[in-house]
Amino acid sequence: MLTRQISVATPIFLLIFIIQEAVVSQFRLPGGGFSILLIFALTWAVLSQPEVAAVIGFASGILMDLSQSASGPFGQWTLIMLLAGYAISYIGYGDDNIHANAIGIVFFVVIANFLVEIAYLLTGALLGVSIGSIGQVVITLFGMSIWALLVSPIMLPVFTRLHVLIFDSRSAV
Amino acid sequence: MRKGGEGRARLLLVILIVTSLFLITLDLRGVKVLDSFKQGTQTVLSPFQRAGAAVLNPVKNFLSDASQLGRTGSQIEKLEAENAELKIQLLNRKNADAQLAQLENILDLAGTAGYKIVNAKVISQGSSQSFSQTITIDSGSNAGIKKNMTVLSQFGLAGVVKDVYPNSALIQLASDSAFKVGARIAGTQQIGILSGRGNRSASLQLLDNSTTVKVGDVLLARGSIANRPFVPGVPLGYVSQVDNSAGAVAQTATIRYYTNFATLGVVAVVVSGPTSDPGDSLVPKKPQVTPIPTVTVTVTPSPTASN
Repeated sequence: MLTRQISVATPIFLLIFIIQEAVVSQFRLPGGGFSILLIFALTWAVLSQPEVAAVIGFASGILMDLSQSASGPFGQWTLIMLLAGYAISYIGYGDDNIHANAIGIVFFVVIANFLVEIAYLLTGALLGVSIGSIGQVVITLFGMSIWALLVSPIMLPVFTRLHVLIFDSRSAV
Repeated sequence: MRKGGEGRARLLLVILIVTSLFLITLDLRGVKVLDSFKQGTQTVLSPFQRAGAAVLNPVKNFLSDASQLGRTGSQIEKLEAENAELKIQLLNRKNADAQLAQLENILDLAGTAGYKIVNAKVISQGSSQSFSQTITIDSGSNAGIKKNMTVLSQFGLAGVVKDVYPNSALIQLASDSAFKVGARIAGTQQIGILSGRGNRSASLQLLDNSTTVKVGDVLLARGSIANRPFVPGVPLGYVSQVDNSAGAVAQTATIRYYTNFATLGVVAVVVSGPTSDPGDSLVPKKPQVTPIPTVTVTVTPSPTASN
């Protein structure tokens, strides 16, 4: 069972990563744009059990660290995504108000997106990564959240169907 | 959850956290294994990025044109009149023309200063998820590009080579908040440090408290030892605002870069610097006011038949 899940999930993660790097990154969108891999990982984390969400976060974090645009040390995104995946799944697990409706999931993903970026900034500051002017950081943070709010509802049906296809234990939205 | 299952989940979480911390420690200690992982990933990704750039350039141009539609009525009418096929042809042609114009200007700039350059197309704009400003170009170590080389746009400094892969390279843009370059004010020997701010403006910190700058002063790169990471004489930008705070040790100023980082299509990497400092020869010429001829029409009444 686990082998099947991993063997199906791996190419999906790689495909999303390639789409992020080869397509989404072609556009310099206002307000910092969005990361489809981040939205995908957070959506799956909301839908999964905590330990599965931690593994999802770990895998997506590794890919985000492999991205050229990652400015921090290798492993920074891995750690943040692992903890974020576990935390949001732990908070939302068993709460039908979140899982039973699309608005709940989108809301959770957008908030998580915002908090993950703040966590990246804070850990980056601790690890000596330059983050730039406060004004620019605030614009980017809110810009990315607005993009996540726009993109998440569009991608949600696809992401939930893929989740059901692999894990088939939780409901599709 | 079963007691055993809960224990396993905790163990898994601890293992993953320890692995992440281990990766961070390895990277901070400069272990090269992780660099080769990243290099391998980029080698695999660069063909996808090239394909993405080739396919999406017309779309990007179309979106750029679409954003201009509301501004002039004549453009709307013109675009509405064109059929889809002609639009695509036009967009492709415009893309090529724009890149050609950028390339010509870069060659002019490099030729004047005596830089030996390698031209490259931008194949990825980078992502802001990590709060960094980078681009990826389609030339790498196979074309002679090395780490810490100066990157030029048609107007001046674009950035510096941060990482090199066989067929691509990652460029840290001058707008990146971690970017710093030694600058000299054209026409003087006043020096300072220019730091990126995450957008097209930058901050200049003068090093000598007895020197001053004024709005409109042009800044050039000072150059580094052995011309890496910066060759001397590259135009950076101009002073747009001067900060005259009473308590400051030395004067600071806001600089506007000449390069528009949002529209970079073609860049050049300086693979070999000039034999001598080009001095102020690359300072952009100020736009000259062209006198507009005034046409005076004198109306002469024609004699009418009634008179």
